[in-house]
Amino acid sequence: MRLAVIGAGQAACTLIAELVRGDFAGTILVFNGEGTHPYQRPPLSKTPLEQSLALDKTRLLPAKLAEDPRIQWIDAAVQSITPETGEVRTASDGVTVDHIILATGTRAVRPEIDGLDPNMLHVMRTWDDRIRLETAMQHARHVAIVGAGFMAFELAASLSGNDRTIHILARGSRALPQVSAESALFLTARSQAIVLTDCSVSSYDRATSTLHTSQGPVTADCIIATVGTTPNVELLLAHGLADPDGVPVDPLMQTPHPRVSAIGEVCRHMHPSIGRTARIESISEANDTATTLAKRLLGTPTPFQAIPWFWSDQGEHKLQIAGLSERSDKATVLQADDRRHVVARHHNGRVTSIEAINAATEFMAARRLFEQGAIPLDPLLDSGSVMALLQSSKS
Amino acid sequence: MPHILFIDSNEAEIEAPFTSGDTLLHAAQHAGVEGILAECGGGCSCATCHVMLNTSWDGQLDPPSDQEADMLTFAVEPTPHSRLACQVILTDAHDGLRVQVAKRQY
Repeated sequence: MRLAVIGAGQAACTLIAELVRGDFAGTILVFNGEGTHPYQRPPLSKTPLEQSLALDKTRLLPAKLAEDPRIQWIDAAVQSITPETGEVRTASDGVTVDHIILATGTRAVRPEIDGLDPNMLHVMRTWDDRIRLETAMQHARHVAIVGAGFMAFELAASLSGNDRTIHILARGSRALPQVSAESALFLTARSQAIVLTDCSVSSYDRATSTLHTSQGPVTADCIIATVGTTPNVELLLAHGLADPDGVPVDPLMQTPHPRVSAIGEVCRHMHPSIGRTARIESISEANDTATTLAKRLLGTPTPFQAIPWFWSDQGEHKLQIAGLSERSDKATVLQADDRRHVVARHHNGRVTSIEAINAATEFMAARRLFEQGAIPLDPLLDSGSVMALLQSSKS
Repeated sequence: MPHILFIDSNEAEIEAPFTSGDTLLHAAQHAGVEGILAECGGGCSCATCHVMLNTSWDGQLDPPSDQEADMLTFAVEPTPHSRLACQVILTDAHDGLRVQVAKRQY
């Protein structure tokens, strides 16, 4: 069997590693259009900008695995695919395969800001983005980060020092809308950044290094956009196998076309643990969709059933989340002191996620409990901590 | 070049060269040591790079941080010598030391 894997990020590399470990009998053609060997993305925003990242230290696939004779690396972006024939075309070449796997991930959204040369706008998604920002930081004194999610606060922590001023501009009424207001307050209070809410950007004046916003002028000689991502669905749009919000797949990562599958952040599927279809951006999603597909390709199909989890390093503070909540889900603080902060998000008496800051045991205990099934709220509140509930569930 | 001697999950002995400042995880991955998953890629967030240091490492390393110690309680059968490979930073003083990779990461 000949496979084409399009993309070489976390999902693609986990799939390749699982196939090699599972003695896959076939050939794997990997199309990598990034111009570097596969690397890990989390360190791009989580490592201080003063430490220049070494590409070799963030390698995704050990060299020994990458050199497996079943793998053929093709350093080119794919221009088009034809599901009916299995043809995969780059700018210079075409190959025919038995199965096509889309692992194209997402790309950073680049907002247009009046007066700002698009080349001056930074995003953080690729190795090149990191190198550009490291270079810019040698001179930047006033940084404005547009968008106020995890990445904005990770970058703010990674950029702080050298007497830099850092503004985080939140479009909505508060920062970190992915987590409860309680967790967001804990983290924003400990960030070096000045957070402006209800803040939309109107224009940039380069002569005075001023970003004009609905909350007044902000001095900025470096502007970074962290306003979300777009799934890279273009190869499948023309075939009716994708929409602008991703590639729908079944619980075995198969699209409606028998020759095409999709994994990682580009795909959207039913998550049994949260009871709905979702496209999720996280390492866990990349790894778990890849292992689900690997099992299918190795002849032991097992439907996707993993629990999503997330983490964000914001300077010395580590936020870890098990599960996934809707923004409207309620929040109950389980533990709160100067350092540890644990919040249960819930809906209709069921816990939907646990947000643990500097509280890794609570996060890990939540993952274990979610793996056993639903977590009812009342027993958790009676136990006082996720760890205590896990221990009582064992006895 | 200094090296670490890994005993991987298949009981194979692998010499892994490293440079000072590398993490134990990086040295293991570079040498193709089997049995370390490192799902989060070294972020101290998954407890799937669990290793056991040889007792001769005693006193030669900073102890685990609270975060690492918390994560280690969820490793499979942790011992007093358990560490997460992503959190151990190597120096030349660690040349020749032995590390057992956990039999299972789940």
